[in-house]
Amino acid sequence: MGTLLTTSIAAVFCAAFLAPWVHRVLGARAGVVLGLVPLGAFVAFASMVPTMAGGGNVKASWEWIPSLGIELSLFVDGLSLLFLLVISGIGTCIVWYAGGYLHGKKDLGRFYLYLLGFMGAMLGIVASDNLVLLFIFWELTSISSYLLIGYYCEKEKSRKAALQALLVTGAGGLAMLAGILMLGNATGTYEISKLLAMPEGAIAAEAAFPAIFVLLLLGAFTKSAQFPFHFWLPNAMEAPAPVSAFLHSATMVKAGVFLLARLHPCLSPSPLWTTVVAPIGALTMLIGVFLALGQTDAKRILAYTTLAVLGTLTMLLGLGTDLAVKACMAYLLAHALYKAALFLAIGSVDHEAGTREVDALGGLGRLMPLTATAAVLGALSMAGIPMLMGFVSKEYFYKALLGVPGPRGLWEVLGVGASVGMVALAATAGLKPFFGSLKTTPKKPHEAPWAMTIGPLILGMLAVCFGLFPGWIGNHLIGPASAAVLGDPSFSAGLKLWHGWTVALALSVLTLALGAGLYFLAPRIRGATPLFAFLGKIGPERAYELVLDGVLGFAKWQTRFLQNGYLRNYVLTVGGFTVVLLLWLLPRNEIGFDLSKMVPTSVMGVTTCALIIASALMACFVTSRFAAILALGVVGLGIAILYFLFGAPDLAMTQILVETLTLVLFVLAFQRLPLLKEFSKVSTRVRDAVFALIFGGVMTALVLVAFHFKSSAPPISGYMGEQSLPLGQGRNVVNVILVDFRALDTLGEITVLAIAALGVFAMLKLRPIAKTEGEKP
Amino acid sequence: MNSVILSATNRLLSGLLIIFSVFLLLRGHNLPGGGFAGGLVASCAFVLQALAFGVASAKKLLVFDPHTIIAVGLLVALLSGLPAVLDGLPFLTGMWDKTPLPIVGKLGSPLWFDLGVYIVVGGICCLIVFSLGEELEEENDAKHEPDSKEKKN
Repeated sequence: MGTLLTTSIAAVFCAAFLAPWVHRVLGARAGVVLGLVPLGAFVAFASMVPTMAGGGNVKASWEWIPSLGIELSLFVDGLSLLFLLVISGIGTCIVWYAGGYLHGKKDLGRFYLYLLGFMGAMLGIVASDNLVLLFIFWELTSISSYLLIGYYCEKEKSRKAALQALLVTGAGGLAMLAGILMLGNATGTYEISKLLAMPEGAIAAEAAFPAIFVLLLLGAFTKSAQFPFHFWLPNAMEAPAPVSAFLHSATMVKAGVFLLARLHPCLSPSPLWTTVVAPIGALTMLIGVFLALGQTDAKRILAYTTLAVLGTLTMLLGLGTDLAVKACMAYLLAHALYKAALFLAIGSVDHEAGTREVDALGGLGRLMPLTATAAVLGALSMAGIPMLMGFVSKEYFYKALLGVPGPRGLWEVLGVGASVGMVALAATAGLKPFFGSLKTTPKKPHEAPWAMTIGPLILGMLAVCFGLFPGWIGNHLIGPASAAVLGDPSFSAGLKLWHGWTVALALSVLTLALGAGLYFLAPRIRGATPLFAFLGKIGPERAYELVLDGVLGFAKWQTRFLQNGYLRNYVLTVGGFTVVLLLWLLPRNEIGFDLSKMVPTSVMGVTTCALIIASALMACFVTSRFAAILALGVVGLGIAILYFLFGAPDLAMTQILVETLTLVLFVLAFQRLPLLKEFSKVSTRVRDAVFALIFGGVMTALVLVAFHFKSSAPPISGYMGEQSLPLGQGRNVVNVILVDFRALDTLGEITVLAIAALGVFAMLKLRPIAKTEGEKP
Repeated sequence: MNSVILSATNRLLSGLLIIFSVFLLLRGHNLPGGGFAGGLVASCAFVLQALAFGVASAKKLLVFDPHTIIAVGLLVALLSGLPAVLDGLPFLTGMWDKTPLPIVGKLGSPLWFDLGVYIVVGGICCLIVFSLGEELEEENDAKHEPDSKEKKN
């Protein structure tokens, strides 16, 4: 079964890379064909349901980087399977839908690539056994989310929202990586299955635990848009409807919740868990509902209610009782179904009627019966009407809140308050556009094509099926998932539609009544735009903008300061920095002038040195640029002679060649420059002279220190010399090192050289047409 | 630049430089030389041609575009690491043919790698010198036509 798991995930990735080609060949039918891949994966995952229901799990593993303890290992238990089914099942509907929604758009092939790539990465997250592997998939979803939000890349708003989502989730991802590495250091393993098998409380007792906890939480909270990182999610609604439905409601934003659920047995024994996770979840839930009431765009309403649900799920995990976890899993499944259906239906409305403003829509039910059916089923499930999945999950939600130990009343009031808002919002976004009198819209509305109705209809129908027969779901999906979250294989969670006359039922009825009342007040709340505009100004998004502007401003300043275009300033900066570093390091070593270690030289050597010094002085004092270049050339050739004298013919040869070509380049470049007429001011010359003397002095000191340097490790030159012939089949050690022992370094070097040459070419050839004469001598 | 001496010697030198560069490349493994030095010497042949007869003529002599040459060189260097991978050894491990050939000596993947370095280095030098040289020629042409531009300098 491990092979089946791996093949399914790999197939989705393969489909992603083939998608642009499939789209080119099949055109409009590509969506249907590509949708078969996630469908196949769904069937494969579904075949694992009996194993999970029996308390088993599926594993597959390959060696990857054994020296770091990182393996390509997959692990699927009840929790992972629930997510796998949601991702592949809803993913199938989404791919079909996208084919209709984006029909005829350019770059649709590219869109499929991103969408299926995301799907593969998301499956990878939930199936990873290794935390490092999980992180890689995690970042892959952030990147594909960036590409998908920015799909309408000609719109500035889309690009901005995409970047915001990437920066927020990317920053959180980095924090999470730090947390993962610390966790790996503390426990000695990155394998989730091994972490889960540790005795309860062992990880929470680690000294580094608080830091690990906070870092992991940062990753989960940015991804799942918890307060104060919630602002990126509503902005991400710039993406096309299928993307919003899939990434930003049903799956990706739940990755954070998944991580919390996955690591629940490891992290929850700490008292930090309940005190941090539950309140932040509750806060996000309330903020989400409240801000949703202020929206007029149906899609944004749905986005904010997604925030509220993510908050609810986090809160339930934070409470962490058996009932709360069970409620969390049920709520998660119910939400994925109804929210995806609603997002897709609203997308169809936008597509066919040309607007998503709730106050501009009405009576579409007669013109778009299939879309309306899906939307109504979704909205009723979201509101928690009996016979639907949403009702069952809300019953368990209330039961969980009633069962929380501690002071009575607080959690119940919060839960009911949020649910009342959800009822009103479900009616506003999911019912209002389809009932009442028909309103004039920018486009003449008609029913969407079948590709766009089948997906939401299936999802809506499933909400009904699961609502009517919750028992099967309870035993086969919710039960195993909850057992995995709780780390208690014996846990079994039957779901029931009818519990008898309980307090939870009474709260449900109360919720519906209050929600209906709130619905009629909702237009007035929506009207209070100044209030919501003000809240937007003081929200955490403002902090994000300030930080971003600050970083960009600093980058601009330091670029202007460091990259000012004057070559002489670059030389000063680089040289000055080297001098400062060396002056800081050198005093830590013994500086000596040990004559005994010096090698006596010949008359030839002394003459060459004198020649070098004389040429260097000449280069400083001549008034012709050409003479200065020639003098420098003599310096270079003199050094080559020194190399010869000290027995390094290889170096000498290279030095001569480089010197020759440098001379040619100098001559070519300097021909363009005017004759030296104006000379630097005396003060500048004094500065340069002082700098040059300091630089030369420090370099001399460096050479002297090198004489005295005693390394604790034996020098490698002996080894290289001995092994050159037997291992490298060559007697020229220098060359054997270059092309054999250190060939990878050389490969890197020639690549850098090639890029540098392309850079020179680009600067010379690809200049703006209007030639700039601004290059200073 | 119209120098009789330069153009006369160039005819003799270009070929010699190329032969010498190949000689350096082949002996590099046992004696001073190697791909880097060889590549520089080879490029000197074309630089000389460019100085004597202009960049256009040097480009004609080179036949291939310097960009292509650099890319081919990188590819040769990269491919030289693959035989080892196919044998289950780490990338770029030296693989040798045990029997030495006449003149060339032992053949092995490091020699191919060195050939890649030779091609890349030669291509880079040609690219940079040609680009600068063309720039200069354009400028000189512009100077000879109207004299308006010269005043600015």
